[in-house]
Amino acid sequence: MISLQDRRCEQSAVAAELERIGGRLMMLFMTSSGAARELFAIVRADTSTIRLRSTITGDSYPALTPRVAAAHWFEREIHDLWGVVPEGHPRLEPLVRHGPEQGEIALPANGDVGAEHRGGERLSGPGVFVFPYGPVRSGVFEAAQFLVQTGGEDVAYCAQRLFFKRRGAERRICEVPLELAVLVAERVSGTSSVAHALAFSHAVESLAQTEVPVRAQSIRRVLAELERLYNHLEVAVRECEDASLSVAQAQFAALKERLHRLAAEVVGHRFLRGAVIAGGVRVDLDASAVDLIGDTLRDWERDFKRVLAVLLRTDSFLDRLVSAGPLSARDARDFGCVGPVARGSGIDTDTRRELPYDGYPTFAVARHSDGDAMARMEVRFAEVDTSLALIREALHSLAAGPVHNRVGAFVSDTALGAAESARGETLYWLHAAGADALGFCKLRAASFVNYGIFNRVFDSQVLTDFSFIEHSLGLSPAGCDA
Amino acid sequence: MIKWFVRGVTRRRLTTRYPRAAEAPPARFRARALLDPDAVDPRSAAACAAVCLPGALGADACGRLRLDAGRCIACGLCVDACWDGSLTIDSGYELATTSRARLVVGEQARASDGSTRPLGGVFRRSLHIRHIDTGSDGAVEQEIAALLSPYYDMHRLGLFFTASPRHADALLVTGPVTRPMEQPLRRTYEAMPEPRVVVAAGTDACSGSFWEAPEVLGGVDRVLPVDVYIPGDPPSPIALLHGLLLAAGRVREVSPPHPEPQPSAAKMSSG
Repeated sequence: MISLQDRRCEQSAVAAELERIGGRLMMLFMTSSGAARELFAIVRADTSTIRLRSTITGDSYPALTPRVAAAHWFEREIHDLWGVVPEGHPRLEPLVRHGPEQGEIALPANGDVGAEHRGGERLSGPGVFVFPYGPVRSGVFEAAQFLVQTGGEDVAYCAQRLFFKRRGAERRICEVPLELAVLVAERVSGTSSVAHALAFSHAVESLAQTEVPVRAQSIRRVLAELERLYNHLEVAVRECEDASLSVAQAQFAALKERLHRLAAEVVGHRFLRGAVIAGGVRVDLDASAVDLIGDTLRDWERDFKRVLAVLLRTDSFLDRLVSAGPLSARDARDFGCVGPVARGSGIDTDTRRELPYDGYPTFAVARHSDGDAMARMEVRFAEVDTSLALIREALHSLAAGPVHNRVGAFVSDTALGAAESARGETLYWLHAAGADALGFCKLRAASFVNYGIFNRVFDSQVLTDFSFIEHSLGLSPAGCDA
Repeated sequence: MIKWFVRGVTRRRLTTRYPRAAEAPPARFRARALLDPDAVDPRSAAACAAVCLPGALGADACGRLRLDAGRCIACGLCVDACWDGSLTIDSGYELATTSRARLVVGEQARASDGSTRPLGGVFRRSLHIRHIDTGSDGAVEQEIAALLSPYYDMHRLGLFFTASPRHADALLVTGPVTRPMEQPLRRTYEAMPEPRVVVAAGTDACSGSFWEAPEVLGGVDRVLPVDVYIPGDPPSPIALLHGLLLAAGRVREVSPPHPEPQPSAAKMSSG
């Protein structure tokens, strides 16, 4: 259960208040009750989580983005969905809406667009062109579009366009019966099913004040860390593919496949779906499953370490990643980045520790100060070790008892649920409507905030590094688009 | 680099022998729900249909329970709710079919239309595939990418991904079709030379699953003629291989194991 400090202020004072609080803007969204529209900002300060509310009167309010850069995409989303204008937003183009009105490619018209894009030289003149890459991309990728402005080699500017895949998950979660809604959450970002199911379930459990049995907590940790392992491996596979290291690619892919097979053996699903539900879990780990996980991961770790040791001595791999796609600690902090992307830039953030859940023990959060693609990879490789240790600890501490508590009637009106996916902090904000139904859901996947800095990491980079940089961020368009 | 070479040639062979030999899924693997229409008790049927999020379970025109495997997300909730034994979990891999109607179990008219060999098998020797994501959850893409991993190695079967739709024989579509992806999907299809096959990979692509929203058009067949349906949420790599080989006309469809059990290994055609 996440305890929130409640604060309220005038719509003209939100930006100043956010600046005063400092910290990281986790979410910013709008809801309505009757005719009144309310702006919600959820902020993570040093030791507390603050909910800042402000009633919006009229069809506009002073934009927060010029003073709080992390609000940039949230405010564009609010503008798209509610028609409310954040006055003074540096780049108020459609974000989540796709339609005829957005047929033409729009790049920022002038050189500097305020807080969203500080610095960075803009190119203009003959020979400079915009190369639209996507949404149908070469190879097997999810739908996303990148508008690369280039003179041939240097990337002058790279704008990302997402939300091709928006399926309306937030609304669907509220429409379906509560006990089935977790199935929707699992499929928002199909590779982070456990994290999304956990974040959603945490919010539901918080609404109903349901305790999760200790045994279920341990099982949840095993599943969540298993999911982290294969997602981190996926990034390694992609990076090796980009570096044309076929053997490394094949061996990481084989290691990843072994994890999916383990998941299918234990849970019956290769992406661990159908396990986490509000109140606990649907699958129990019997002694044979515990042994299977332990034995498989022991062999797996040995093989992984061997491949990794060779990879970290392969110059053609290191050359491409070191200094590619740098993200400064200041940008990572200002734009509220999460997950390995933030930790690769030295930011000490991890939901498992900031908003503790499911009985995670204390562990060292892997960080790196370089901020480049290699730093993000090293954070992931270090997290593989952490995850393996956490799985062992969870299997060891598997207490006897039930794995599920019934979720009772809702006793709270609103709740925040959080979980750390392989990509970073995943959030669900829920409003109860009655005793067992949801009236409003706002989800924010890690990729939503991490995609926001996509253009910044391409400042003064070259086109040939595009895929290295993109994959080092390890983003999920499905999660971002929801 | 020599280290990689040594590692590459000294590891043992991992690759499946599928489709020459059957691949056994893990015992607990959930591919889809299976319905025995003769065992249905109406009260149990109502309880099962109530927990089916995508509406795969429902009554047909005669009021009998039917199961649409093209909508099933294999969550297993109906099996938990069922007490007459009519619903079970199928762990089979070979689910692909050339006919949408054949995915529906228990329907009065068991469809027997549609060739089991699309286009007479003109792509038997090699199939070049263009993938397009029209709103998937991202897991199908990873299962498709896994086909290139040593465990599945689709190149050994003459299956290749191609960057350009101009070079493609098959369009592999994942995800329910969202509105912004409708035009890119049509344009990719139109850019492909004929003959061409369209493969809908995953429950989302087969039917739109539970994504009933103004943003989502539904299954791929709302936009394009689909030749092969591969249900699954997401379909496993072997299921994808089976579907792609079916599109190439190299394996036959496999009927669901219940109520008439069938051998599960696909037979290589003599062609």
